[in-house]
Amino acid sequence: MTLHRPSTLDEALAAAGTPRAGGTDLGERRRAGRHRGPVVDLLGIPDLDDLRIDDGGARLGALVTLDRLATHPELARRYGALTAAVGALATPQVRRMATLGGSLLQATRCWYARAGVSCHRTGGDTCPARDGDHRFHVIFDLGPCAAPHPSTTAMALLVYEATVEVAGGEDRTVAELLGDGTDPTRGDTLGTGELVTGVRLGPTDPGEATAYLRATSRLLAEWPLVECAVRLRLDGGRIAAAAVAAGAVAPIPLRLGAVEARLVDGPPDPDRLEAAAAAAADGAAPLPQTGYKVELLRRTVLATLRRAVGLPD
Amino acid sequence: MIEFDVNGEPVAAPETDETLVEVLRDRLGLCGTKLVCGGGVCGACTVHLDGVPVLACLTPTTAAEGRSVTTIEGVGAPLHPIQRAFAAFDALQCGYCTPGFVMAAIGFYDDWRARHGTKRPPRDEIAAALAGNLCRCGAHEAILAAVAAACADDPAIDEPPVRVDALDKVTGRAVFTTDVRLDGMLEGVVVRSPIAHAHLHGLDLDPARALGAVAVDLRRDDPTLRYVGDPIAAVAAPTRREAEDAAAAIGVHLEARPAALVPGADPPVFPDRRSRKRAANASEGPLRPARWRGNVRGPVATSFPPFVARTRIRRTDPARLHGGTFVTASQTHTPLEPHATVARWEGNRLTVWTSTQAVDAVRTELARHLNLDPSQVRVVAEHVGGGFGSKLSMDDTVLAAVELARIARLPVRVVMDRQEELTVGGHRPAVHLDVALAVDDGHLDAITLDAASETGAAINSPVGAIPFFMYGGAPRSMHDWDLLSHHPPGKPFRGPGGPPSLWAVEQVVDDVALSLGVDPIELRRRWDGNPKRRALYDEARALDLWRERPREPGSGRFRRGVGVAAGNWAYFVDPDARIGLEVREGVLRATSSVQEIGTGTRTVIARALAGEFHGAPIEVVIGDSELPYGPMSAGSRTATSVGPAAVAAAEHLRALAAERLAVDLGGPVVAEVDGIRHAGELLPWPDVLPRLEGLSTQATRPGDAGGFLSPFTMLHTRLGRGSSGAVHVVEVEVDTLLGRIRVVRCWAGISAGRMWSPITARSQVEGAVIQGIGYALYEERVLDPASGRTLTANLEDYRIPGIADVPEIEVSFNEEGWEHVPGGGVGIGEVATLPVAAAIGNAVRAATGWRPRRLPIRPEHVVEGVGR
Ligand SMILES: Cc1cc2nc3c(=O)[nH]c(=O)nc-3n(C[C@H](O)[C@H](O)[C@H](O)COP(=O)(O)OP(=O)(O)OC[C@H]3O[C@@H](n4cnc5c(N)ncnc54)[C@H](O)[C@@H]3O)c2cc1C
Ligand code: FES
Ligand code: FES
Repeated sequence: MTLHRPSTLDEALAAAGTPRAGGTDLGERRRAGRHRGPVVDLLGIPDLDDLRIDDGGARLGALVTLDRLATHPELARRYGALTAAVGALATPQVRRMATLGGSLLQATRCWYARAGVSCHRTGGDTCPARDGDHRFHVIFDLGPCAAPHPSTTAMALLVYEATVEVAGGEDRTVAELLGDGTDPTRGDTLGTGELVTGVRLGPTDPGEATAYLRATSRLLAEWPLVECAVRLRLDGGRIAAAAVAAGAVAPIPLRLGAVEARLVDGPPDPDRLEAAAAAAADGAAPLPQTGYKVELLRRTVLATLRRAVGLPD
Repeated sequence: MIEFDVNGEPVAAPETDETLVEVLRDRLGLCGTKLVCGGGVCGACTVHLDGVPVLACLTPTTAAEGRSVTTIEGVGAPLHPIQRAFAAFDALQCGYCTPGFVMAAIGFYDDWRARHGTKRPPRDEIAAALAGNLCRCGAHEAILAAVAAACADDPAIDEPPVRVDALDKVTGRAVFTTDVRLDGMLEGVVVRSPIAHAHLHGLDLDPARALGAVAVDLRRDDPTLRYVGDPIAAVAAPTRREAEDAAAAIGVHLEARPAALVPGADPPVFPDRRSRKRAANASEGPLRPARWRGNVRGPVATSFPPFVARTRIRRTDPARLHGGTFVTASQTHTPLEPHATVARWEGNRLTVWTSTQAVDAVRTELARHLNLDPSQVRVVAEHVGGGFGSKLSMDDTVLAAVELARIARLPVRVVMDRQEELTVGGHRPAVHLDVALAVDDGHLDAITLDAASETGAAINSPVGAIPFFMYGGAPRSMHDWDLLSHHPPGKPFRGPGGPPSLWAVEQVVDDVALSLGVDPIELRRRWDGNPKRRALYDEARALDLWRERPREPGSGRFRRGVGVAAGNWAYFVDPDARIGLEVREGVLRATSSVQEIGTGTRTVIARALAGEFHGAPIEVVIGDSELPYGPMSAGSRTATSVGPAAVAAAEHLRALAAERLAVDLGGPVVAEVDGIRHAGELLPWPDVLPRLEGLSTQATRPGDAGGFLSPFTMLHTRLGRGSSGAVHVVEVEVDTLLGRIRVVRCWAGISAGRMWSPITARSQVEGAVIQGIGYALYEERVLDPASGRTLTANLEDYRIPGIADVPEIEVSFNEEGWEHVPGGGVGIGEVATLPVAAAIGNAVRAATGWRPRRLPIRPEHVVEGVGR
């Protein structure tokens, strides 16, 4: 029997196999023959799709679908960068099926791993993209694997300092969940026997300025070349607090501390945003074919900042 | 068991990790739901789960437990307004994407109506809702219009559909090769080379057989493997999974050889004369002889007058020379219905259902290959989910299915998955082009073009021909080179050679106009001697789109520009094309082996007959090699071959009808298009046909007035007199900050005479424009430089245009100049796509001052090329 269908969380934790939530990532890998072995279906576990939100913060169950997140008016009011990011990823059908947990823990989309070439992710010990075609890969080269982390959702959650609830293990921050990008064999730190049950978000201030943008060649339904989420707290014409995150540029989603530092305490005017965005790629070490992402990252951060504070596109 | 409802009926599926699409298609036989990408990208598998559109290819059966699933088969009685609108607006071509689009659109419709009633939804909201569905034929423009009309209760959705198979396609009833299911049928898979160049020493099929599978060696006579994906063996078992497992067990003994992974570099792919016979032909035309030097083959030179152009270019003062180097990417056909075949033997008779653009040619080829008489082989293709040039010959799936079925003594189906389709299904070669134009006092003095095509394990990429015939007055010299490599072979792709050559030449012409300060349309009008295209230039110049274009590059973040480009295409016709006509149960039944790939062939035949038999019920039965000979769908020849043949058959049948009725009714009888005139009365055809039961005839395509250009028929092809033309005017908006280019509007002017079916012809032009946009902005096959593997082997990494990327398209047919052709018009499928990329390049130049030279024009190139 390769399919386990636990009806409680405890049964699920005890079952041996790869968890499956919406199946939009795992299902594709299995169809293509890149994943084999038993599956643990999480859909029968009660209450994992709870969504609670109030002045004290929010708790989003691991099985809440991305579509529900993206279209939740109250969530959009309080966590605008998250809902905008989630609403921009994949396709309407995928968002209706995919879950919060799955979107954090999805596998790499590196085209070498997907083509079945031997690499760190598939049991090998090289990264063929480095000597091959890596035009969509990283500019912050943090580990042996050059593929960027795929999760838009994780990137957006970084600006909300979210806590990931883990059953069978310790709760952890999103950054802790995804690790530091140096382990080339995996994109997360979740151990066997651990499951993500939900995400907790702290309270936000009304009137935070938020935005999300991605750079792509086609308008919709395309993986980003670079993506950015911004959350600013404005106070009397000054930026009181800033959280800026970027995706598709490193083996993990990144907070851009240098940008944030240049924003805080300044006015949200075009020059200040421009100066801050110019620091977006500080510390980047692009690969031979990803040099373009350095400038594209700066520009994407700039465009997202401008959108957050309501400057024209 | 997992229990749920499908279209209101309870079903139970086993507790495996199957997805819904397997349950629907394979267990329940509900084949309206299509499987295309298997990865969530294309939406072809869209069904409703409790009324909400989801993807059957990724929905675990467990997710359906206790819920209700609705498929396309469950929404059609009576037709949903969305289905009526798709049919009425011709929002489909091949129809393979249609069930998925309809299901997604119904989801949007329900949602929109609940929120906004019958308000007309804006274009971008519809596009956002349908962004999870891909259409390779490019039916988007009509889809957007259809959905808006349905939501708004627009009475136009109840217009009767023009496309005769529209209702079959919007209801999911149309049966494609992938949907053919025969009793006892096995599923086959092809084992392919994992490396780019190897010698196959041995093949151990026994492990597969030990698993109960049937296995065959596909390389008995050629042990050299020349690219990743080259077929080695084939395996069949009751299910695809079992076949895959058995295939994995096969022992493949390969000796890797050094591979040419840089096009043109050593070692040679075809080292000797004998092996060169195995090189695939990258064009639809006959092989043109050329010299081989290792992996460089060429030049194939077309020059007129000889030697003049090159000498002139060499001697021209550099100040009067215009030109440069241009590069295009390799474009993959990726029709949404993959290459697929079902084969069944009955004794020594073979029936093959296959997804092909050439039913009759595949039969001939297959019979020759198997040493059978053609009468022993039957090829069937009722509906074909797109081809674009990739399905012109007997492919791997045919060979594999036929061999497997012979051994298994059971029918076998072989369907490429998307990774195979994107690897070996076919592509338009990438080309490096050098163009030079000598211009004197505004006159074109000479033009030279050197084009080197990365053909992989193929030869004969024709790039120079299009511009050779376009600016016909000046001395010209075109050199084509093939750069071979151990990569999958290039194939002819819609207007082979045209888009790359025009990408270069039409941008240089634009540069000339800029430097002379002449209106680019006016310059083309002057240089291009073709009177039919002149009419298009005049029309284009009068457009508001053109007259009100910004004259200088803009300066803000978003910059708009308008560009123009022209193209020409030869007029090919199949003079052997026949149409059979028979009266059966009061219905006029037309027959031909010709296939419907989405171009509207059934509709062309039906409309040709409708014009000759007013009011008569008509049925068109095609796509079967047992029927009268029909042409292949290539070279834009189909409509102009079958349309006139249908008219000729109709005229003859009318004469026969008059003869028979003269006997039956007594006295003189005249057969007219409105009916039969007898004793001063007109009996309309619907009333007369029942009396003509069994009356039948066949007719061949009549010749043109004044004859054809080519003196004899070769491979069922003649070159006719005149060339068709396209002039496209395109407006783009360039986001100079993030590099995205959006095509906002496109006016497509086509001079190809009268259209047999203007509505489906318009759809074809729109599709040609959209494919051209893909070629210009998104599409690029990428191979691993170290291994030769295809990296763009899924529909996320291989980017075809989405519905939100489609501009407003206006199509204008100029009908003049084809009076010598019966029916008054020729084909359009190819000419309409040729100038699109060049027009976009010129529009980008107009918007930004930056001239793109490399395709596709990606955001990173814009960011690099255009300052902020
Ligand atoms: C066309 C397309 C475009 C896309 N674009 C984007 C994009 O731009 N940005 C982006 O972020 N994503 C994108 N995606 C990916 C999509 O977001 C993921 O497929 C989806 O979020 C996965 O969610 P799921 O619930 O279906 O996960 P599953 O497929 O069910 O699971 C994914 C992985 O997570 C593990 N897992 C799931 N839930 C849990 C849990 N609760 N505890 C422990 N492990 C768990 C599974 O074991 C599996 O390994 C795209 C997908 C497609 C098809
Ligand atoms: S087949 Fe399911 S999304 Fe493409
Ligand atoms: S009609 Fe959409 S793919 Fe052919």
